[in-house]
Amino acid sequence: MASTVHSDSDDGMDAFMDKFKTQRYKNAFSENDWEEEFNKIPMFMKNAPEEIDPQKYPELACLQSIIHDEDRPPEEQAKSLKDEGNAYFKEKNYQKAVVAYTAGLKKKCADQDLNAVLLTNRAASHFYLGNMRSALNDAAAAKKLKPDHLKALIRGAQCCIELRHFSEAIQWCDEGLKVHPTDKKLRELRAVADKHKRAAERDARKAKAKEKKLHGEKEALLNAIKDRGIKLVQPVRAHRSGSDSEDEDERSPAAIAELSLDGLSSQEVTGAQVFVDEQGSLQWPVLFLYPEHQQSDFISAFCENSCFTDHLAVMFEELPPWDADRKYLPQNLQVYFEDEEKETLYRVDPEMSLLKILQHKRYFVKAGTPSFIVLVKGSSYWKQFLSGRKIHGLTSCSN
Amino acid sequence: MLSDSEVAELLSFLTPSTRPDVKGQATEYILGLSGNRDGCRFLRSKPDLIAALFALTSDPSIAIVKDCYHIFINLSADETLHQVLLKDVKVLPVLFKNLLDPEYPFSDQICTILSNLTRHEKTCKTLFKVLQEDVGMAQLVQIFCTEGYNKNAKLHYLGPLLSNLTQLPEARNYLMDKDRCVVQRLLPFTQYQSSVVRRGGVIGTLRNCCFDHAHHEWLLSDAVDILPFLLLPLAGPEELTEEENEGLPVDLQYLPEDKKREEDPDIRKMLLETLLLLTATKAGRQTLKEKNVYPIMREFHRWEKDAHVTAACEKLVQVLIGDEPEEGMENLMEVEIPQDVEEKLKEAYAKEQEELEKEEEKRKQAEEEDEKKKKSDSEQTDREQESGLIK
Repeated sequence: MASTVHSDSDDGMDAFMDKFKTQRYKNAFSENDWEEEFNKIPMFMKNAPEEIDPQKYPELACLQSIIHDEDRPPEEQAKSLKDEGNAYFKEKNYQKAVVAYTAGLKKKCADQDLNAVLLTNRAASHFYLGNMRSALNDAAAAKKLKPDHLKALIRGAQCCIELRHFSEAIQWCDEGLKVHPTDKKLRELRAVADKHKRAAERDARKAKAKEKKLHGEKEALLNAIKDRGIKLVQPVRAHRSGSDSEDEDERSPAAIAELSLDGLSSQEVTGAQVFVDEQGSLQWPVLFLYPEHQQSDFISAFCENSCFTDHLAVMFEELPPWDADRKYLPQNLQVYFEDEEKETLYRVDPEMSLLKILQHKRYFVKAGTPSFIVLVKGSSYWKQFLSGRKIHGLTSCSN
Repeated sequence: MLSDSEVAELLSFLTPSTRPDVKGQATEYILGLSGNRDGCRFLRSKPDLIAALFALTSDPSIAIVKDCYHIFINLSADETLHQVLLKDVKVLPVLFKNLLDPEYPFSDQICTILSNLTRHEKTCKTLFKVLQEDVGMAQLVQIFCTEGYNKNAKLHYLGPLLSNLTQLPEARNYLMDKDRCVVQRLLPFTQYQSSVVRRGGVIGTLRNCCFDHAHHEWLLSDAVDILPFLLLPLAGPEELTEEENEGLPVDLQYLPEDKKREEDPDIRKMLLETLLLLTATKAGRQTLKEKNVYPIMREFHRWEKDAHVTAACEKLVQVLIGDEPEEGMENLMEVEIPQDVEEKLKEAYAKEQEELEKEEEKRKQAEEEDEKKKKSDSEQTDREQESGLIK
């Protein structure tokens, strides 16, 4: 029995209240998007938007301008910026944190404790961003302002460790321990830095020992070659100084001794290298050239005591596919080496050991790989190849 | 000695306002007195003289101050003087204050005096108390470990001072405070080339610390890592196999071929004794075995010539390669030794020391003979040589 029990003064009120039963109020949250709407209200926001567009978020923009009001004293502004930075830091938004702290430092307020904190916090942000040098610089600046600032000291030490500057890290820890002698973190960092430092020293010693060993082996090899009177030559294209008498220089004993093993390693694809075997004999990588067919063969370890006959017998047991004429039978083959300088061919006695051949006074090992020319005796190519050249038969070897 | 009136006259010369040459002569005279035991004992009965001399350490003349400090070094070397020095003349506060001053030119003399004063337990205890109040052990270690703290003094004698102080458990406990970083700072000095005094002092300190087996585990852990610093002075340039190297503590791996061992045999012996102390507990023995200490000792044994040091090495090796002791005896320091066994051990030890002395004498003589022979050989004299004690 809703009787009209309104007094005169409540007229407007009742009418007003009645409206709610029927009319929606303006700008009401709808059932669908009330959560989103809530998130737009500063007080109820779960996350702040990345950028504050005053059109979309007028209240936020308003708050921001209050916070960053240029009329407030610099200390207050700096503190607000510090808080802002800290908030970003908590969210792991380190880039934004850096921006905020930097803005805070720009205020150049007189509160050095605050500035030290701003620097230290920015250092932490840089640390998590992986900018170790920036972090270290900030920590050092903070330390300068406040030499006993524990967080700055710890951060500085941590940065040094990440940068692998272990001695510096220990210095930071020691500085810190002077002021905070019982701090556990500093103690632990010092022990870690010390351990790494000593491990790095060990690594350096190990590398040096290895290098020395390698060098020793190189020298022994070069000596073995030199002792046999075998002459090594750098290939002309690899020679740097390019003097006219470079060949002369290279043949002198001193030059030979100075040749690094790079002069020995094969410039060919193989990468094989001469070495001393367990019996103390040299094993050479040897190149066999077949100019008739533009072919070559490679023996990676030709023992100096073995001879060509032995190898050729094995190599040409089955004739190679490029030997169209089927004529490269071991007994038909002749081996030569070329003395480039004198443009002379020397014929090799295939029964002679490689060692004796290499010791020939006109034999020069190029690029650490002795090479020899193989021809078929009596063939037309053979005639052609040998015509017009100086030829020596091999009678004696070294001189 | 001097009569009372002579003493009074001497005292009158020891005032700051006295003519420098008279003052100088007076201090010189007393310096002479202090150089022998009777003179020291005499001075002990005249605390006024000592007090006056101490006041003169602030004299503007460097020569006078030097003499005065020299007198105090002599006085402090005599234990019977300690009471007078500490209680009557009260030297400690002033000495400590000057020690802290990085510009003070006589800090080395102060270190020597303090080192003398701490040789015997009684004064050491008193001194330690004052030290903790005025300077603090932490600062003392800090000063010791800071290269160039004092431009005018090397402060090497802080080493023996620390070593003496650690005869007191309270000093050891401070050095080995787990919550601080104190003993760790001393470790690099086991290889300090420029001063045998500093080096010996540090190693003596570490040896004393190792008497407290409760701290062994911590000392051997990464928090301190004492082992490599004890082994490095004993390790040589000999090449070890890759396998042996990889098992060693990091600091001992791949040592260069110019690595030299500790030259002083007494210090070598102290290092071995310290290592032996660390084998008292089962855990310690295990650690030393695991960390491949044996190859280092093997090479060391080959190299060592001194009989005493070799004996110490052999003792250590025996523990390293020997079997574990039976149950109940794992902590070698806590084993109960019956009285008669202890007597026999003492006798055996004394005898062993005698024999080692003889061996060592023989070896030294042989070395000397070798030297002489080389000398006269190289000089090519014609005179006939007497055959010496050549083995």
